[in-house]
Amino acid sequence: MRPKQTNLLQGTLDLLVLKALGPGELHGLGISRRIEQITQGTFLVKPGSLFPALHRMEEAGWLSSFWGESENSRRAKFYQLTKAGKGQLEVEKEQWMRIAVAMTKALRAT
Amino acid sequence: MGFCSRAWSILRNFFRKQQIESQLDDEIRAYVDMMTDERIAAGMSKSEARRTSLAEFGGITQVKQAVRDQRAGTKLEILWQDARFGWRQLWYSPAFTLAVVATLALGIGANTAIFSIVDAVVLKPLAYPNADRIVQLLLISPHGSNTNTSIPEFHNWQQQTSIFQEVVAYDRTGPGFNISEDLAGDRPEQVHGIHATEGYFRLFGAPVILGRTFTPKEDSPHGGKVVVLSYDLWQRKFGGSQKAIGKQLWLGKDPYTVIGVLGKKFASDPEAEVWIPFQLEHADTDENPFFQVAGLLKPGITLAQANAHMKLAATQFHRVRHEEDSRQSFAVEPLRDSIIGDAGRSLRILWGAVSLVLLISCANVANLLLVRATARRREFAIRSALGAGRWRIVRQLLTESVILSAAGGVSGLVLGFIGVRALLAISPAGLPRIGENGTAVVIDWRVLGFTLAVSLVTGILFGLFPALSTSCSDLNSSLKEAGKRSGTGFRQSKTRSLLVISEVSLALVMLVGSALLIRTSFALSGVNPGFDSHNVLTLEMSLNGERFQKTAGVAQLAREGNQLLRAVAGVESSAAAFWLPIQVIDGLPFQVIGRPLEHGGSRWMSTSPGYLSVFRIPLLRGRDVNDHDVAGSPLVVLINQALANQYFPNENPLGKQIIIGKNMGPELAEDPREIVGVVGDTHNNGLGRHPEPMVIVPLAQVTNGYTESYTDFQPLIWVVRTRSDPHQLIAGVSEQLRIASGGFPVVHVRTMDEVMGRSTSRESFTTLLFAIFGAVALFLASIGIYGIMAYSVAQRTQEIGIRMALGADRGAIRKLVVWQGMRLAMAGVALGIGMAFGLAHLIAGFLFGVHSWDPAAFVSAPLILSSVALLAVWLPATRASKVDPIETLRAE
Repeated sequence: MRPKQTNLLQGTLDLLVLKALGPGELHGLGISRRIEQITQGTFLVKPGSLFPALHRMEEAGWLSSFWGESENSRRAKFYQLTKAGKGQLEVEKEQWMRIAVAMTKALRAT
Repeated sequence: MGFCSRAWSILRNFFRKQQIESQLDDEIRAYVDMMTDERIAAGMSKSEARRTSLAEFGGITQVKQAVRDQRAGTKLEILWQDARFGWRQLWYSPAFTLAVVATLALGIGANTAIFSIVDAVVLKPLAYPNADRIVQLLLISPHGSNTNTSIPEFHNWQQQTSIFQEVVAYDRTGPGFNISEDLAGDRPEQVHGIHATEGYFRLFGAPVILGRTFTPKEDSPHGGKVVVLSYDLWQRKFGGSQKAIGKQLWLGKDPYTVIGVLGKKFASDPEAEVWIPFQLEHADTDENPFFQVAGLLKPGITLAQANAHMKLAATQFHRVRHEEDSRQSFAVEPLRDSIIGDAGRSLRILWGAVSLVLLISCANVANLLLVRATARRREFAIRSALGAGRWRIVRQLLTESVILSAAGGVSGLVLGFIGVRALLAISPAGLPRIGENGTAVVIDWRVLGFTLAVSLVTGILFGLFPALSTSCSDLNSSLKEAGKRSGTGFRQSKTRSLLVISEVSLALVMLVGSALLIRTSFALSGVNPGFDSHNVLTLEMSLNGERFQKTAGVAQLAREGNQLLRAVAGVESSAAAFWLPIQVIDGLPFQVIGRPLEHGGSRWMSTSPGYLSVFRIPLLRGRDVNDHDVAGSPLVVLINQALANQYFPNENPLGKQIIIGKNMGPELAEDPREIVGVVGDTHNNGLGRHPEPMVIVPLAQVTNGYTESYTDFQPLIWVVRTRSDPHQLIAGVSEQLRIASGGFPVVHVRTMDEVMGRSTSRESFTTLLFAIFGAVALFLASIGIYGIMAYSVAQRTQEIGIRMALGADRGAIRKLVVWQGMRLAMAGVALGIGMAFGLAHLIAGFLFGVHSWDPAAFVSAPLILSSVALLAVWLPATRASKVDPIETLRAE
């Protein structure tokens, strides 16, 4: 049984992708698996949302891509953060923290 | 994302589509493969792993489309697709495309042509650095405003330093100068010159490329004779040499020292080639208004502020001078307005007219597009059934209409360019600011921008209508409806009817306007000007020099010149005067001796003997002036019929004495004159107005004061009646005049017919254009009616077939269609008559000899329009009546 999954909030996907790529380059499936891992299975990113997001972020200049070889030697497209992408990760992280704190406070208020 | 990187992405996506697509395929394949690998590693069978991976991935096509939608330039690509598809659609229906493009080209072309003229004359700022702050100073009286100013007023205005940064006086070029490098120079050239005060060059920001302009000292009385040259004259006379400064140039009989040269681009209004210091005596109390005044407002001073200030200044000015009852006030207006004068109004009216033509074109094209959109309903229904959104279909239709309007715009631009050249070639138009032969009217970025904007707006305007109404329609019903041909949808036909009605009403407005203007020009050409302009040559000569400051000198020149001229073969008679019969503008007061309290005013002109016979002005009573009416002999005067009627209604004016110009200063004071003849009236106030009272005095009998004030400001005009075509005598006559005057050139050599044509050329220009626009409007409206009726008949073939099968005869069918079409036309005509009254009111100022509610125009225009409309519905009606019921019913 999988843990209960949550729908991705608008805008969270970008942050998760940026975060997933923080430690280093990954290919599409790798990103998807890494997100699953760091959210402890809460978010499952489907290719239908992942691919458009990757391409959009690449065109925005946050990601760059190259063709490389996967762990079981398949040719795959790898993504990594650009300098702009690293900056964007910080910006979005901070934004998210603010929202999260505010939401938590709001929900705890009696 | 930076603009550059975005632009780069768009370009890359656009040109490397193949590569990007195949990379996407690879990426997706790798993803699925790796997922499969994972599952195999987890213990699934190979085929099972592949199947579940693909299932989990989801629709590959949808994912790819989702990625594509994220790509930069996708919208551009869709637009490109739409454009290509639209282009193909249009290419496959050339008749439709041609009709639309031609209609638009007419509308847009006419607008481009008129706009390029309006822009050059009205809209463009003057080419001076502070053009928006330069104003003309005006004297306002109950009779209107006037720019002619005298020294005391100028002096007052110069003191209004709280609103003006600079106030300068200049004259309207006067008679021109006979210019030569040395006095012995046999053939001087005549150039236009302006007397200006010292600040003139600063005010207009005139660039000085050599030397300097006047100093304040040079601009005071007896400040010496210096001259500033235009670039062209400098090139012509001195070959552009730096050494020109300090050289002498003879203007008339006086040597002037060249002190400066202005830049090539500086163009004054009026045009001039030499500038001479005015050297006004500020203490002078002479109230003779003989120059113009322009001012440069201080930055931040508005026109309203300036006008309020000037009004106060006027009150003070009159109080100081103890003129308690003076109703004259001061005001300013932008210099541009005063240069444009009343040409702006007629151009704006034309612009309005041409916009109506464009509206009609738009309505027509909208109608054509509606027809087309209806015919394509099925296509759109299928597209939406396949998932195209409403916006996508609207966009497709809009793209097509913008392509059409762009094509129309390009053709219109070409048409407009040719059109405006042709128009200016036919009619010199007498418009200010259009340069020589209209060279200032050019297709520049402003005109291009205007045309582009007009094309886009029309494209969207006429495209949106059909696009929205098509995309609104119910999918189900249009799929069904399109299968059968049973009449047009109700809403569609209502829109189309409204379009046709408005088209017809606008066309009627244009027709009534043209009819009124055409009747005006006939009325004007039917006016007997009171003289015969045929076979008369007119030549202007500037009289420079001491000798012509005195009456005797001018009279002698006139006498000798006329003697020589009459010896030229082919010359019937000749005279010298300062006015032509339609240009007499000076007025002087007079008093009839024996009627102490009566003051009269009349137009005034002086002439050598022969004027009446040159122009064939009838002598009604008494005698003409002759060679014996000279200085020293009894003073005589001729009066015209209008003066006789007004001041001597029941008595014989011959032998009565009048005193002219009383209280006009010592220089103009003269003894009473005896009325020796009464002559026929000439339209001395313009053809459209009643002749005004006028007196004619012998040139040889005026005071030196008169002579001086005329030779300084106006050229002498030689008028010669010839036995045959006057053009053939130009060389001979000019040569004799040069000999008689001791070397003066003659300029502005024109026949009197040309002078007359010029005086009415702006009116003829307006009338011609209005007539052309009226014809275009009529044509477009009839096409519109024909279009809608032909289409409706085609759509209703089945219905007509059934009616016939049920017993309707052909006459009844024809009647039905004709009635339906004419109902639209009639509604348009009724609406149009109402609107035409509004237009007629607007153009009332241009009308002559015809009321603005002229019954002939208001009856003939609807009649013409209705007959053309009838013709336009007759053809489809006839086609409808020829429908074969068997054929139609079988066809279903």
